[in-house]
Amino acid sequence: MNFDWTVIWRNAPSLAEGTLLTVVLTTLTMAIAIPGGIVLALMRLSPIRAVSAASAGFVEFFRNLPLILVVYWAYYVMPVAFDVQFSAFTTGLAALAFNVSAYNSETFRAGIQSIRKGQVEAALALGMSRAQAVREVVLPQAVPRVLPVLASTWVSLFKDTSLVSVIAVGELAYTAMRIRSQTFRVLEMLTAMAAIYWALGYPQAKLVDWLHRKFRVME
Amino acid sequence: MDLDFTPLIESRQYLLEGLELTIVLSLATVAASLALGGAVGLARCYGPSSLRWFLVLYIDSMRAVPVLVVLVWTYFAFPILSGISLPPFWAALVALTLHIAAYVAEIVRAGITSVRPGQLRAALAIGMSRREAVVEIILPQAIIRMLPAFGSILSITIKDTAIAAVIAVPEYMKQSETVAGQSFHPIEVFSVAAIVYFLILFPVTRLVDMLYARVAHLGRS
Repeated sequence: MNFDWTVIWRNAPSLAEGTLLTVVLTTLTMAIAIPGGIVLALMRLSPIRAVSAASAGFVEFFRNLPLILVVYWAYYVMPVAFDVQFSAFTTGLAALAFNVSAYNSETFRAGIQSIRKGQVEAALALGMSRAQAVREVVLPQAVPRVLPVLASTWVSLFKDTSLVSVIAVGELAYTAMRIRSQTFRVLEMLTAMAAIYWALGYPQAKLVDWLHRKFRVME
Repeated sequence: MDLDFTPLIESRQYLLEGLELTIVLSLATVAASLALGGAVGLARCYGPSSLRWFLVLYIDSMRAVPVLVVLVWTYFAFPILSGISLPPFWAALVALTLHIAAYVAEIVRAGITSVRPGQLRAALAIGMSRREAVVEIILPQAIIRMLPAFGSILSITIKDTAIAAVIAVPEYMKQSETVAGQSFHPIEVFSVAAIVYFLILFPVTRLVDMLYARVAHLGRS
């Protein structure tokens, strides 16, 4: 049994491109999913029943489906529903963004609701407008509570981007498995793929731990 | 849009077998993860400190690496390294268990550390052995706090079994893919798959929410 580990170095540029696409996909998804999550959270907290129910329905829908199914479903349904041919990248991005927006909305909702109502009441009693109360009192306290959870979600998202490989988006998992098929170097390429994810993910996980410690809330 | 559900009706036996395997794989994975994760979590809290660095490395590695990568490596690369060839179901079971046990270990650790240290000190002070103190005082309180998170683990496991489709485990997702590919009606097949998964997962997430509501008042006791 001979192993050829040089296959990793020879294909390093492709692997680097795949890694870059993974990072780009993660960043773009979060860029959409953070505002998306805020909108959904505010909708959920709205006193209008229809708005609140629509948001709750959206969140429950994505909480209760495997992401890989959402990716496949988006890939087949989106072109037919919108009569436009989307690239695999856009489809994967849409599936990930919807999924993470749903999780983020729960994070934001929990963060906003964790600020005691008395704080807002006191701020209003002092003569602040509602907007001032939210900006000066609620948000500065809510943001440190939400940050560690968002960071956790980021790391999960980073790992979940590997799932869009099933619709042939050229991120790291797809690239590594493609090179494996072309070179027949199974152990070397799969170990390289695992090692790259590990090297990128381990520091991120440690950073999340640090954030949890730094922003820990003692009430 | 012309929807034609007949391929689903014709392949219903095939799809039901897949669904059965999804449920079997999920339950087996949860059982094995609870066992392994529980052992790792307890060893992390009460075991020899010389072992601790290895357990932390294992847990953090599983946090860093995607499930897909663990599944694919276990099924394709591990046989080359060890000479042991695992059939798809068993490869999936091993990979999913290893991945999810790391999360279970963290839940166990969080549950145990949420019980105030004073409880352990008091138990030792009244003459209990360390083992008695942990089993009689700490664990009963810790386990109640872990229950909602374990419910979450069930939900995550069922969703992760769908990823096992990439190593050709004939569970529900894979069977749906096959029917969709053969019938050229992917929209109908995947829409039904979405409804089925939703119907399975919705009760589980409801249960998790209920458990969290019951346990929320406990905080640190």
